[in-house]
Formats: sequence, C-alpha cells, structure tokens
Amino acid sequence: MTEHEDAALLRRVEALLADPDHAGHPLHEALAELLARHRSQRHQLERLVSISDRYQQLAMEARQVTQKRYERSLRRQQKLSRISDGYQAMMRERNKALHRASTLDPLTQLANRRLIDERLRQFEVADRPYTLALLDIDHFKRINDRHGHDVGDALLVAIAETLREALRDYDLCGRWGGEEFLLLFAETGLDEAWGIVERLRESVADVGVSDGNRRLSVTLSAGLCERFPGESPAETLQRADQALLRAKRDGRNRSLAQPSP
Amino acid sequence: MDDTTPMIPDLDIPGSQSTPAIQSRWQQGRLAMQGDSYPENSYELFDQVIAWVRDYLATERRPLHLALSLVYLNTSSVKAMMDIFDLLEEAHLEGREVSVTWHYDPRNERIAELADEFREDCSYPFAITPSVAPA
Repeated sequence: MTEHEDAALLRRVEALLADPDHAGHPLHEALAELLARHRSQRHQLERLVSISDRYQQLAMEARQVTQKRYERSLRRQQKLSRISDGYQAMMRERNKALHRASTLDPLTQLANRRLIDERLRQFEVADRPYTLALLDIDHFKRINDRHGHDVGDALLVAIAETLREALRDYDLCGRWGGEEFLLLFAETGLDEAWGIVERLRESVADVGVSDGNRRLSVTLSAGLCERFPGESPAETLQRADQALLRAKRDGRNRSLAQPSP
Repeated sequence: MDDTTPMIPDLDIPGSQSTPAIQSRWQQGRLAMQGDSYPENSYELFDQVIAWVRDYLATERRPLHLALSLVYLNTSSVKAMMDIFDLLEEAHLEGREVSVTWHYDPRNERIAELADEFREDCSYPFAITPSVAPA
C-alpha cells in the first residue's frame, strides 16, 4: 500500500469515527483503538528509520574523515620519502665528487698517486700482466726557472692532455711526481707498449706553450718494463725507474726498456 | 602579559658537524637555522624548535619569518621541517603573516630543488634564494 493510499484510508476511518451516526456502534470503540495503535506504530517506525539514517550518515562521514586523513598521511609520507631520497642522492653525488677529488691530480686532472697505487694493487691481487712506463720531461726545471711556474704548469697541462687523448680507455695515465708521468698499459706486452710510448713522445714534441712571443716545446725520456708474474708493484716500479734513469744518462729524449725489447 | 615577553626562552644552539645552528628571536619574530642536520636524536633537537614556533604563533599576533641555510637533512630532520612548515601553513590560513627564505649555495642547485619540494604545500611566501644567509 502506498503512502498516499494509506493516508486516504486513515482519513476515511477518521471520518467514519467522527460521524455521530456511528457513535455507540459496537465496532466504533474497537476501530478507534486500532487506529490509535496503528498511528503509534507508524510513529515508532518513522523514528526507527530516522535514527538508522542518522547512524548511516555518521558512519559515512567518519569513513570520509578517515579516508581523508589516510590520504593526507600517505601524501605526507610520500613527500617525506621523496625529499629524503633527494638528500641521499645529493650525498652520493657529493661522495663521488670527493672520491674524484681525492684520486685526481688537481692541476692535470690525471690520476694521482693514490689512484695509481690502488690500481697497481688491484693488478697485483689479480696477478694480471701489464707494462709500466715512467715518463719524465727533459730539463723541466730549466723551464720553470727561466719562464716561471705558470708556464711550467701550462706545459704540464698540455702534455697531460696529449697523453690522455692518445691512451686507450683501459690504460691508466697518472701524474707520478712533479714532471713525471706514469702510464700503465693493461694486458699489454713490452713491444706494443714501446710503440705507443714512442708515438706519444713524438706527439709531445709537437706540444708547445707560448711564453710571450716564444714558443716552448720539450722532449720526454721514458723508462719501460713489463711486470713479471708474481712481481710486486714496488719491484716493477723500481725497474721502470732504473730504465728511465738510464734513458736520462744516455742523453735524454729517448725510451729505454728493461729488459730491452 | 607584555606583548614581547617570550613564553619560552629564545633558542641559541651552536651548530656541530651533525647538527644545525639554531637561533630564535622572539622580539624580532625570527627563527634561523644553518648547516647540516643528521643528529643522533633529532626529536630532542627539533621538539624545542617546534615548541618555540608553536608558542610564538599561539602567543603573538606579529609576523614570523624563518631564515634557513640548511644543507643536508636526514629523514627525521626532513620530517621535523615538514612539521614546522605545517604549523606555518595553519597560521597562514588563520590570516597570520608568516614567511620563509631558504638560502642555498648556488654551487649546489640540488638544495634549491629539495627546498622547492618542501614548498609544494605551502601557500605563504616561501623564497628560495642563491645566497649566503647572514649569520
């Protein structure tokens, strides 16, 4: 029965009860009581529905608040992780830059002694073959004395650039001392290294820096040796150094190997 | 109570290798922090900063300015800064005048990018300037 039909029926019953013609009829009292009970139950039902609706509304609102709070906290957590990851990435970059700075010679950007030592140790541990070359600029002190350290430094930078360009990716080129460079030719025999060093010495002879109107160029002396299996880096280095000394004594501007190729 | 009497004393925390230097100036409505922040107990350190900001905003009606020159922040320090910025946002939404200037070394653009991430949810003036903050 629809709300409308229900209301119409109630109105009919009310009208019948109100009619004085039906007063005192045996059904009058029973019908009046039935109507009152119906009204009361209807009222109860409406209250129940309204309370239930209000509960549902509250539950819905609470759920939305929780949902919102959850989303906010999630967003915050994501922001926190994002920023924190950013700082960690920054630290990693900083560490990398520090590592670069601590392993490169600041003037020439070649490997410094720390990196060279590290690399030599790695080769020793892996017992890998290599050929070492120690290169020394001839009469470098004279250049510094006559033209000043700025010119000497510029020359070092220019030579370093030439060495770096000529070497293969897996070779190592480092600044061993003031005007001394070290080349490490990985998995390379003495003959092959000798060829590379000779080409390098020719390229370096073409390198020059200008001091005012004059153009200065230099020559290199080199000492080479191939690592013996089981030989320590210090021993290999010492042999290369001895070869270099002999090259110097023999008149400079030349390569010498130990043993001779 | 006098308008300029702090509820809690001003902070004057010297920095260390792992903690930022922190100065609060109730009279000037100013809070400044400089340096790296990865303290052993960051809650202990930042709780007092958060308390100061909360008290200032609750007591005063005057503006509050934060001058930051923070470099590295660990996760809990990032969280603390987010909490502080949230306090400022709440105050701003209530009509208070609050602002932040984040100074960074122009050689480290990363800091600016991260400061920008912090700024994301802030509707008050939040400047990120390549400069060195006055100590």
